[in-house]
Amino acid sequence: MTDAAVAVRGLTKVFPVPFHRQWSRRKPRDIDGQPEGVTSREASYQSVVAVRDLDLRIEPGEVYGLLGPNGSGKSTTLKIILGLVSPTRGQTEIFGRDSSLVESREAVGFLPENPYFYKYLTGEETLRFFGKLCGLSGARLRERADQLLELVGLTNARDRRLSTYSKGMLQRIGLAQALIHEPKLLVLDEPTAGVDPAGSRDIRNLIVDLKRRGITVLLSSHLLAQAQEICDRVGILADGVLVCEGRLEELIAIENQTELVLENASDALVDQIKTLATSSNAKLIARRRSTTTLERLFLDATSEGSNK
Amino acid sequence: MSNETAAITRHRAFSVARVFAITTNTLTELTRLKVFYVLLIFALLLIGSSIFMARLTFQQEFQILKDVSLGAMSIFTSLLAIVATARLIPQDLEDRTVYTILAKPVPRFEYIVGKLTGVLLLLAISTLVMSAMFLAVLYIREQAVLHETLRQMSAAPREQIDDALRAVRSSALNIDIFPGIVIIYLKACLLAALTLFVSTFATTNIFTIVVMVFIYFIGHLQATAREYWLQEHSTGWITHSFLALVALIFPDLQTFNLVDDIVVGAAIPLGLFAKTAVLGIFYTTIYTLLATFVFYGKEL
Repeated sequence: MTDAAVAVRGLTKVFPVPFHRQWSRRKPRDIDGQPEGVTSREASYQSVVAVRDLDLRIEPGEVYGLLGPNGSGKSTTLKIILGLVSPTRGQTEIFGRDSSLVESREAVGFLPENPYFYKYLTGEETLRFFGKLCGLSGARLRERADQLLELVGLTNARDRRLSTYSKGMLQRIGLAQALIHEPKLLVLDEPTAGVDPAGSRDIRNLIVDLKRRGITVLLSSHLLAQAQEICDRVGILADGVLVCEGRLEELIAIENQTELVLENASDALVDQIKTLATSSNAKLIARRRSTTTLERLFLDATSEGSNK
Repeated sequence: MSNETAAITRHRAFSVARVFAITTNTLTELTRLKVFYVLLIFALLLIGSSIFMARLTFQQEFQILKDVSLGAMSIFTSLLAIVATARLIPQDLEDRTVYTILAKPVPRFEYIVGKLTGVLLLLAISTLVMSAMFLAVLYIREQAVLHETLRQMSAAPREQIDDALRAVRSSALNIDIFPGIVIIYLKACLLAALTLFVSTFATTNIFTIVVMVFIYFIGHLQATAREYWLQEHSTGWITHSFLALVALIFPDLQTFNLVDDIVVGAAIPLGLFAKTAVLGIFYTTIYTLLATFVFYGKEL
């Protein structure tokens, strides 16, 4: 059996509340009972349970979306997987290696939410800096930086300081630095947060391209429509608990309903289909004109506008 | 996987290349903050004091020049060490750049050492530039005084002229200045390491700077306080343990003040220099280890 790209077992993270803040709290934190694996002390007002007894397994080559509202424990889970935060209990592994070990990060690239890199560095200098941290040097580093600047479409902006980059450009250089050492796993925390639809589409296309190259992607998001477009599997976190997980098409399919999309169908034909359905004990629930998405409309309109 | 990729993924527990990358980046970051304006102030102070001292005797002139310059070097390097170091880790945490760095195969120890080495390099450059300016001014003034002495004593016997020139040279540029400069640098290194340690648990830059200003003053006063305490109280093991703890938290910065000896032209004994230098290195190492220890336990 091959190692999972990411394996999380029984993960619980409890953040202690600083001593001075405990005095301002009058009553215990309102949580729904005491979850398994969380002690009464941890469940009391002296701590905040960010993640509770989480189990995850992400296979190599998958795009996995960790979804949930703000404060649901997505970022904490990612930080624990990356060894930036230590778990209270449980284990996390990256390709079979304990993720608290520094060497496990050789296989991982990470793009944090709203990253701010060193503004005084240019795009190319940023990639060279992160490349050196990964043990790259000389011609190999130059070559890799060139490839990635090309991949994320920043070749023309390579000599510009990051202080002049737009939000979308910063996300793309962030993605490039995450890929500098050819990681097998890419961890993206809200990769399209604050980016306009065009920039968001670019990042989405890049993720799809990376998946095609066999890179495993673990991303967190609360933008469900985008996650739906790119994720193979999703897990939904609420209050630190994984409440739902599975293959996207299975999770969102409605078992007893079927959609037909017709082109140039006359009213008579639709009436015939309706009659046929009724005679077979089926029911036509909705009949409406097909629509595009607001995002598609926006992208088409803005690209037409810029071409004029 | 290609051989090249395999080479990338062979992890080293400690890598000089990674530390060097963080060091050079930290140095770049600090130089972009225009901290070298401190050097400009130092230059202006030197020029100003030289103009003022033109009216004094050469012994007084050299004495004041050394006093002002070495004193200013000590204050400026200390100030630079505290201000430059205080912002490094909090800024990286605030900007989340620390996430991207530590999500790479970089041990936290290397991150701390890289950051500190960047500051120590900045301090070394600043100390060298200030020393060069100070020594240049001292040399120029020495040459001017030598010329003036020769001109005034042109009719005097040869032995008398030689004695006068020797007196000028001995009170101006001499070898004892250099150990003094090294100790000033080591004191700044100690303060940088201590500031880095404080910044690992501080919540803001201002807090770190305020704490360090307190430590700076207490560090200069604690030797006097300790002597007074030992005179007034019994010298049991509790007292000694308490004083040792105070000495660890608040380093005795007065020990690093060798300027007074240099100014009056007294030679710094090799033993005293070595002892002070070892103390400086010891404190710097201890504070770096403490900073690493706290940073390892920090939830990012």
